Amino acid sequence: MISKNLTAASTKPIILGVLRQGNSYGYLIIKKIKEMSGGKMQWSDGMLYPVLHRLEKEGLIESKWVMSDDSRPRKYYEITALGKKELVNEREQWVHVNSVLDKIWEGQPSTT
Amino acid sequence: MFDLERAIHRWLRSFRRHRAFNHGAIREMELHLRDHIDDLLSKGLGVQEAFDKAVREFGDIKPMAREEYWNIRRKRTFINTIMLNSYFKIAFRNLWRHKFYAFINIIGLTIGLSIVFMIALFVNDELSFDQFHKKKERLYRVVENQYYAGQPVFPVAVTPTALGPSLMEEYPEIVNFTRVYNDNFRFELGEKKISENSGIVADASFFEMFTFPLVSGTVQSFKTDLNALILTEELADKYFPDEEATGKSINLDGEQFFVRAVMADPPKNSHLPFRYITNFERYLSGDPDRANSWGSNWLYTYVEMAPAVDLNTVNDKIIGQIKANNEGSVTDIYLQPLTDIYLGEVDFTVEARRKGEMMYVKIFSIVAIFILIISCINFMNLSTARSAKRAKEVGLRKTVGANRRQLVFQFLSESVLLSVTAVILSIGVVALLLPFFNQIANKEFDLRTFLEAGTGFKLGLGILLTAVLTGLFSGSYPALFLSSIEPVRTLGTHGTALRQGAGLRKILVILQFTISVVLIIGTMVVYQQFRFIQDVNLGYNKNNIIYTFVPGEKSEVFSNEIRNQRGVINVGLSNRHPAYVLSSTSGFDWPGKNPDETILMHYMSVDEHYMPTMEMNVIDGRQFVHTDTSVVIINERAKEIMGLEDPVGQSLSGRNDYRIVGVVSDFNFKSIHTAIEPIVIFKSDELSRVYIRYDPMEQAEISERIESVWMDFFPDREFNIYYLDEDFNDMYDAEMRTSKLSTYFAGLAIIISCLGLFGLVSYATEQRTKEIGIRKVLGASISNLFLLLTYDFTRLVLIALVIAIPVGWYAMNQWLDSYAYRIDISVWVFILSAITAVLIAVATVSYQSVRASISNPVRALRNE
Repeated sequence: MISKNLTAASTKPIILGVLRQGNSYGYLIIKKIKEMSGGKMQWSDGMLYPVLHRLEKEGLIESKWVMSDDSRPRKYYEITALGKKELVNEREQWVHVNSVLDKIWEGQPSTT
Repeated sequence: MFDLERAIHRWLRSFRRHRAFNHGAIREMELHLRDHIDDLLSKGLGVQEAFDKAVREFGDIKPMAREEYWNIRRKRTFINTIMLNSYFKIAFRNLWRHKFYAFINIIGLTIGLSIVFMIALFVNDELSFDQFHKKKERLYRVVENQYYAGQPVFPVAVTPTALGPSLMEEYPEIVNFTRVYNDNFRFELGEKKISENSGIVADASFFEMFTFPLVSGTVQSFKTDLNALILTEELADKYFPDEEATGKSINLDGEQFFVRAVMADPPKNSHLPFRYITNFERYLSGDPDRANSWGSNWLYTYVEMAPAVDLNTVNDKIIGQIKANNEGSVTDIYLQPLTDIYLGEVDFTVEARRKGEMMYVKIFSIVAIFILIISCINFMNLSTARSAKRAKEVGLRKTVGANRRQLVFQFLSESVLLSVTAVILSIGVVALLLPFFNQIANKEFDLRTFLEAGTGFKLGLGILLTAVLTGLFSGSYPALFLSSIEPVRTLGTHGTALRQGAGLRKILVILQFTISVVLIIGTMVVYQQFRFIQDVNLGYNKNNIIYTFVPGEKSEVFSNEIRNQRGVINVGLSNRHPAYVLSSTSGFDWPGKNPDETILMHYMSVDEHYMPTMEMNVIDGRQFVHTDTSVVIINERAKEIMGLEDPVGQSLSGRNDYRIVGVVSDFNFKSIHTAIEPIVIFKSDELSRVYIRYDPMEQAEISERIESVWMDFFPDREFNIYYLDEDFNDMYDAEMRTSKLSTYFAGLAIIISCLGLFGLVSYATEQRTKEIGIRKVLGASISNLFLLLTYDFTRLVLIALVIAIPVGWYAMNQWLDSYAYRIDISVWVFILSAITAVLIAVATVSYQSVRASISNPVRALRNE
């Protein structure tokens, strides 16, 4: 299981990353994340929404309601240009953290 | 049986306990839950099982609410464009809903801004005079202060011939000089024989000091070539339409000149207009002694100072330059910056041909600011007055979470939207009125010039700034006032909390009307003064006089011939224009004169017919007769200043000895701005100005008769006649234009103020519909109600009058003090202004009050 803090910290790049692949709505985003993490990230579904709203307020994503005849209305989110920039930024940070950790792991034998 | 819908509703209700979630967010989560349940059902779970699992995975609501709440509280770090968009959208809807008030606001602002823009054009142009010279910071004109016993300082703009060279030689601070005087020639080329005006004569250094670009040719030869001529493009095109003018020869007054260069036409905003230039050396070559003359002030001397020299230091050094070279002189000199000449406030004798008035620039600037204030007040008043209605909106907005900043933004965007609309409209108005404005302001503004890159950008920026600033200024009070309203007070009772704005509103209305009344008073005084100037007793009769110029040696015969024509009453000769006698001397002496005093006297020469022709009154002694030689007539002022009890028969010595034979009653020989000065009139022959008094009944034929005589005498000279009274109209052109402009301004100021008042009254009566209904039901008569409604606002106008009258009286007295001959402001001006203001205000108010007082009370009360 991945700890709560680490989950919280990675939410932003994960959501931005998911939206980078295409517009989506809340339920679908959660579903995708769950699938990708193989259930190892502990989310309560509802916590996604305040995060989405915060990202929207920061101008990283935009939303619009889409009505269609054959399904329920959905609030679709779309990544903005600013969001894409932020994602690149986030990615660099995570890669950096990763490389630091990699170096540390190499100097130490794995515990398993 | 498990009811899914009820379970979902119950679940949703738990969200509503938290303020953090708005409707959209709750709906979003509901849809999430339903999607999830559908998914689980399709995987084979039971309904209740699916619901429970979905709710469990959705998680605890509390931490979500906390997060969402922080989202709302979190401050935005930048202005959200979407919000800005919505501000303007709402602003537009609000204006549209209240079309009547928006209309009044926009019209008022448009009128106000149009005036402000036009005045800005005028002021900007006046201030731009002579700014185009590259060396403007270092160029000065040498001017004089002459001091005579018993007379105020006598400022003179012209200087002696020798002054320029001596200044440059003796003071290292002065690095260059040029002398300029006006002299016109008759151009002769082939068939063309035309007297061209606006000619100047200048030293070659003229071109080094001033920035007047050449189109072709050079000015090198100008220094040595006595008959060099420089034409402006306009004249070059006139005489050499399809060829290069440079190098061609042309006869001026019968002498051959060569065009050495063609100059671009000088800009309109130059105090020194000219069309052609001839060489000053040519004048000097006539007589070598001329270069050393200190006695006569007759030409303009401009100097260039070395960089970084202090003006005051130089002025201190040169002040006595004329006294040092000319014994007995009473003249001090000083340097006047080039850029101060056009709007200079000293009334110089022999001033440049193009002269503006700083006073008008100041007056109009103040008027512009006043009118802008009046228009902005309209906006403030209408917005705050309607606040009772808007207050509910504000209350509601606040209840659902709008903060004060957002509300301020909302109201400001409304006012900015309004002012931008008004600005766009007023640009259109200005474009339409430009020809008309040009005519009264005597300018030549052209829309095309505003499209040029530099000016266009500055202008655009200025307009944008005006729009936004006006919007912010006029919106500031309503915005701050309305946003401070506490929701509880607005939503409970009917706007009773909003009386607080009324006091300020009344003060603003008073201010508006005070300004308007001051403008009305100003207009009346300017108009009366103008009429006074036109009708003032000049000491002679300027009407029905034609004048022309002839060669002096033939003037007597010519005038005798004209005198015999039908319709001609009399013909007189003189060497001066009756309203421009500028030559003066302190060289007269007479028995009993205090030798320590220097007294300046003007002088002119006339023939024996001149005074009867001009209808001047000889009050002592006699008129000139044909045989007179060595006699003079003086005016009353001269008699007074010479200290002679009985001047007739006394002697007066100047260049020769003269005997005084008469005293003529004072007459104006300069502008009405100056008091009458002493003058000595000589009897002379060979005078070239012919003044013809004609019978107004024969006016139509008179010029033809003169022309036919002219043709007999001067077949190869161009025939020109001038009407003396037209010269006076030109002389008081500035007064006439000011009088016209101020009439328009005052009229428009009153209209704008009344628009605002109309809006306020409409609103007030609308608010009091029920009150009026009840009063009527209880027996109030129509006249009772009319008085009640009218008095409320008319009172404000009365207070404005009390303030405006002393202010207007003081301001206009200041203005009138610039005239030697001025009216005293009569009480009637104030009474009339007061009546006008009150009548207009009552008329404005009564439309609404009458409508309200005759309305059927049933209509007003039915709704409750």
